[in-house]
Amino acid sequence: MADPDVLSSAYPAAVSSSVRKHPVPLDDSLAASDGGPSFAKRPRAAAELPAPGGSAASPELDVRALVSLTTGIYPLARAEALRGLAEVVEKADASCSVGSGIVECSYESAVELMRDDDEGVRLAVVRLVGACAQKFSATVDVDANGYGDLMDMIFLQLSSMARDMCTQVRIEAFSALGKMQRVSEGVLLQSLSKKVIKTDTMCGSIINGQKLPPKLKIPCAAGVFSHGIEDEFYQVRTVTCKSLGALAKFSKQYAEKALDLLMDMMNDDTRAVRLQTLQALLQMATYGCLSVQEKHMHMFLGLLVDTSALIRDAARKILGLVTLPKLQMFKSAVDGLVTSLEKNPEEQDVYGILFSIGKNHGSFSANIAKHLAKEITMASDGELILDKPRIKALLIVSISAPFSNDKHKKLDIPSIIFSHAICLLGKISCALGEDVNQDLLLSYLCHKSGMPFWENRSISAEFGESESCNVQKMEIDAHMENPAKATKCLDETIVMQSMKAILETVEGTWNMRMSCNICEVRTILRTCKEELNVLAESSSGLIGAFLSFLCEYLDAIQLIIEIWQLIQLDNLYTFGLTSVDILLEKLDISIRRMECCFAGLNRELEVQVLELSLIAHLFRLSNIGVCKVVLGKLLWVINHLEGLCADGSYELSDFNGEIKKAFNDDLTGVNLISNIHTLFELFHPKPTTDFGMLKAITAVLQVSDNNSENPLLYVCGLPVGVSFNIFLRNISSHHKLWICMTIDEAEVQGALQELHYWFTWKACPMEKAEARTRWIEWHTGMWIDGDFSLP
Amino acid sequence: MSIECLVLGAGQEVGKSCVVATIGGKRIMFDCGMHMGYHDHRHYPDFSRALTLWGASDFTTAISCIVITHLCRLVLCSHLDHIGALPYFTEVCGYHGPIYMTYPTKALAPFMLEDYRKVTMDRRGEEEQYSYEDILRCMKKVIPLDLKQTIHVDKDLVIRAYYAGHVLKPLPNSKVLGAAMIYAKVGDAAMVYTGDYNMTPDRHLGAAQIDHLKLDLLITESTYAKTIRDSRHAREREFLKAVHKCVSGGGKVLIPTFALGRAQELCMLLDDYWERMDLKVPIYFSAGLTIQANMYYKMLIGWTSQKIKDSHAVHNPFDFKHVCHFERSFINNPGPCVLFATPGMISGGFSLEAFKKWAPSEKNLITLPGYCVAGTVGHKLMSGKPARINLDKDTHIDVRCQIHQLAFSPHTDSKGIMDLIEFLSPKHVILVHGEKPQMAFLKERIESELGMPCYYPGNNESVSIPTTKNLKMSATERFITSCAAEQGKLRVHKGNLVCGASMPEVIGSAEDVDVAEGILLMDKRKAPKILCDDELVEVLGMERHLVQFEPMVSRIEASVQSELQRAKAADLGSEGNE
Repeated sequence: MADPDVLSSAYPAAVSSSVRKHPVPLDDSLAASDGGPSFAKRPRAAAELPAPGGSAASPELDVRALVSLTTGIYPLARAEALRGLAEVVEKADASCSVGSGIVECSYESAVELMRDDDEGVRLAVVRLVGACAQKFSATVDVDANGYGDLMDMIFLQLSSMARDMCTQVRIEAFSALGKMQRVSEGVLLQSLSKKVIKTDTMCGSIINGQKLPPKLKIPCAAGVFSHGIEDEFYQVRTVTCKSLGALAKFSKQYAEKALDLLMDMMNDDTRAVRLQTLQALLQMATYGCLSVQEKHMHMFLGLLVDTSALIRDAARKILGLVTLPKLQMFKSAVDGLVTSLEKNPEEQDVYGILFSIGKNHGSFSANIAKHLAKEITMASDGELILDKPRIKALLIVSISAPFSNDKHKKLDIPSIIFSHAICLLGKISCALGEDVNQDLLLSYLCHKSGMPFWENRSISAEFGESESCNVQKMEIDAHMENPAKATKCLDETIVMQSMKAILETVEGTWNMRMSCNICEVRTILRTCKEELNVLAESSSGLIGAFLSFLCEYLDAIQLIIEIWQLIQLDNLYTFGLTSVDILLEKLDISIRRMECCFAGLNRELEVQVLELSLIAHLFRLSNIGVCKVVLGKLLWVINHLEGLCADGSYELSDFNGEIKKAFNDDLTGVNLISNIHTLFELFHPKPTTDFGMLKAITAVLQVSDNNSENPLLYVCGLPVGVSFNIFLRNISSHHKLWICMTIDEAEVQGALQELHYWFTWKACPMEKAEARTRWIEWHTGMWIDGDFSLP
Repeated sequence: MSIECLVLGAGQEVGKSCVVATIGGKRIMFDCGMHMGYHDHRHYPDFSRALTLWGASDFTTAISCIVITHLCRLVLCSHLDHIGALPYFTEVCGYHGPIYMTYPTKALAPFMLEDYRKVTMDRRGEEEQYSYEDILRCMKKVIPLDLKQTIHVDKDLVIRAYYAGHVLKPLPNSKVLGAAMIYAKVGDAAMVYTGDYNMTPDRHLGAAQIDHLKLDLLITESTYAKTIRDSRHAREREFLKAVHKCVSGGGKVLIPTFALGRAQELCMLLDDYWERMDLKVPIYFSAGLTIQANMYYKMLIGWTSQKIKDSHAVHNPFDFKHVCHFERSFINNPGPCVLFATPGMISGGFSLEAFKKWAPSEKNLITLPGYCVAGTVGHKLMSGKPARINLDKDTHIDVRCQIHQLAFSPHTDSKGIMDLIEFLSPKHVILVHGEKPQMAFLKERIESELGMPCYYPGNNESVSIPTTKNLKMSATERFITSCAAEQGKLRVHKGNLVCGASMPEVIGSAEDVDVAEGILLMDKRKAPKILCDDELVEVLGMERHLVQFEPMVSRIEASVQSELQRAKAADLGSEGNE
């Protein structure tokens, strides 16, 4: 039992004005259950009230009990009661009349305690008011005019709480402010400016029939956010920034002014605040209410080169979403991104941001593209290095222009940009997001760049439209595609396309062999061959094999043309070894390589090879006259061809047919030689691109443990062991290995007096790992005298 | 009971703050400043007049204690508007009672006062009001005060100091630390005297901090009663932008600054920016500044902002990462740099030396403090950018460099004053230390917006504020139980009725206030007590008499004594519910 004397003297503060208005209500139900008015137990009893949801029978009773406790004399009890009310309010269904009643009377009792002496009570008040505000805004009909004012009023009340001396209360008040909805623009604007904005609408507004108390006119909300961002405690500043951003979606004018405040926060000394600010800006940008002005650019550019990766990342994301009003700002943003890329080359998502910023500013990007095109043409003598991040970045920006939304303007992007952009295909497709078909994108770029040999598989206009839909939907922060996968896929596509292009060129060249200078034809073919070689070196597997096959094929074609030229020029029988003989020999070797060095030739390829050997035999006949051996070979080839096409699924070419006819007419071959011109006319190289399961049979010999940095060590006069690794690929069991070791006499002789060598070898068939690869290890021992270095 | 408030200085004027408040017979003098504008008798508050007014023989008996809120940094022409008259009062007028001030104020006060004394003697040839010995003797009487420390001056009078934030004086453009707001209480009457305060924190010093107190009176300064300050963030941004632009262009930045406060703040700002932007340009502190900074830091860690308090355990927050020590020879080094140098107005010393060297290049930048005394180079630069400055007959400086002005932040603005008043919600407000028209404007706002009576008395005027008297009383156990039971019944009854009906009309509505009846027994010897009706007879030790009036009224149950008591209680007007 508490002594009344103690009670009254211990809390002199309790005799406050608010308490005096309400006599301390003593809740009988509680008092009775306690068996006596034990004041000390009261707060706890309030806290242990049954969960409001559970006692569905009478939430009103709970609320009534709690409301009466809020006017108690003990601060802890008041705070606890308010917390209890907040719980009830949060679970209350405000759409029904009982629920809204609960919310309303909770709100009223909270407002009573806004100026409480105790920090804990004020904190609980803010929470309760915040919860009530959410319920109000969720249910209240916007049209009901009084309620719009109510939301304003709550906003103002919370604002006045946000100037509290207690840090916790401020934090809570600011976060509650951020969750407010349906606040009128005037009030929002006032919360940003310390100077009181004169508005007529809010003066003397009447809430539920009662005039606003003088405390809650707009002035108390004046500049609450500008106070918040200047707060001493970073927690308060963080919450302020968050709320500033969250409210921006309600008013455009507010968003503009809030941006000014937020930009200043980028100089805050706490990183948490800076990050939260960026988060808020990102949110504003997502809602489309972020309009960056020139004065903010310095800050943004600073953020792009911040030492913190998180901040850089956030700043970039924002830049990818904003709309910049001026070309100058756009350029400086792009420059900033380039600088950031140069400083931190590992941050590849910059390209994605560049693309989207370019896309958002179609005409500005077009402008950049024009300048870039000029730069490219000016520096065409190899000065322009595509590897430079700046050029890459500008290319991406230029490329993005056609994807922009302002379709009404015809954006004129020079085709040179597109042709340079092809090498950035991977980056562009990453920037576009994963959905984009790379083939489609590539063909689009090629079409735009006006590459003449590009197949018209996809219509660019269609692409542009269908893809730009895609682009609009894409998420800027979509995950980066797996670059390795992208590159591989990209490579195959590009290789196949370029191969086709080369073959087309070859066919075209064949057709112009008569009209043109032989030199020109030869140059074209050589270039084609070189390109194929480059492609072959960088690819592997089936494509690699096929490419090396094609190289041989082109070799043969080139030889054929040259031989033909010679035969035409000098159509006389000559004796002795002529250049034609040499060329014919080369042609034979080339054809034999095609036959022997590749396994798994399909029928088409085999026919091609056989046709080539037909030509070769024909040439030989015309060169040396009728010869039984050659005729015999010819006959074998013809028969072989016939056998291949016996099932009728593959038709023999005219060339084949004619030769066969001529041969059958006259078995001596004279007829063939006389008709060689017409027959040759019939020949057309038609290299197929269907390579089936073509495999290259290769053998690679490596000297292990010997390179320029760590050369093989040896001492003159002592034997030295050299290990070789020989890799054999795609050989079958019936293949035989013939190893021929020659020592370059000219080189070695002078220095080398004596060279003995022996082999031990072991062959390890690596069936499991690589079925067709055999690996042979050679151990060669040598005595070497004198100065001799291994290659 | 009331609080008598006599304004001896700073009433409707700026300078010589001095307010004497009489609470429950205790006189407290808040601040004891002098006015620098006058050199006659108006120089000091009119103490003798006050003495006659109080009818006391000497100050020691008349005044219980003196509390000095803060001192102003002394630079030429500055005010010593809160402490200047203190030695005069103690040594010349002969006050020997206790004097309270905060630790930083106590530490710095003797130097400032002596400095000032010398200046007035040398420059103005005034007659000596007090000597150096007087100052020392005066300072011996001073009792230092810590923040939130409650001091019982005597049996009734309690004072407590609260942090008043950093205070900037417009003239010397430097900060005053150790400013405090003073809470004083005698019995139930309580008041707060603010001195100068600031509600907005800056980078290293926090904002004013005070509890929610129950006040009868708030005496607040109102220097900037009409001004509303804009955010410091914009100034910081402009400053950083200018500096960054300059150093990235290879230029040198000269920041002339005063030793205390300002330099640290700017340097923290720059150091932070350097860290973020990964800049490698050196920032130099000229030698004097580093020493002073350390002193500053050691002495005042308790007065800084939360961030610094949090981090100072880990490392010295005034130990800047990017700041290097400056050698005199560096002045000719090529390449960009930032240099903090004293004095702030480029009136001589090292900042002038650097200025001479760097001003001729347009790549360089000079940032000027907000205020420069006329005649200094700083003042010439501020009043329109001159192409050439003549130092004396032979020396000219061609000024081609850029100039950036750093606006200073004054004391709290009107928003800050309003916020503090609103937060403290006192019953009355008195404005001091401000210009009359502005005070009138602010008074209007306080009365209309906050609904508090507000006064701004002139010098030597007095205001009397009524205070509330709280009466403590106890209630008997029976009384509490009986009224609790009664109310409970009532409520359950109501609750049953309302269930399912529209609730809000019942809950929390004004009619729901329950009234309990009891009898207030006040006895001269005992504490007042509330009783139940039937207890009274027992307490008074009397018998119950029953009076019956047959024809007129059916039945009246009363006791003579209780009727008498009731009448007495009604007279007092303090019928309680408890």
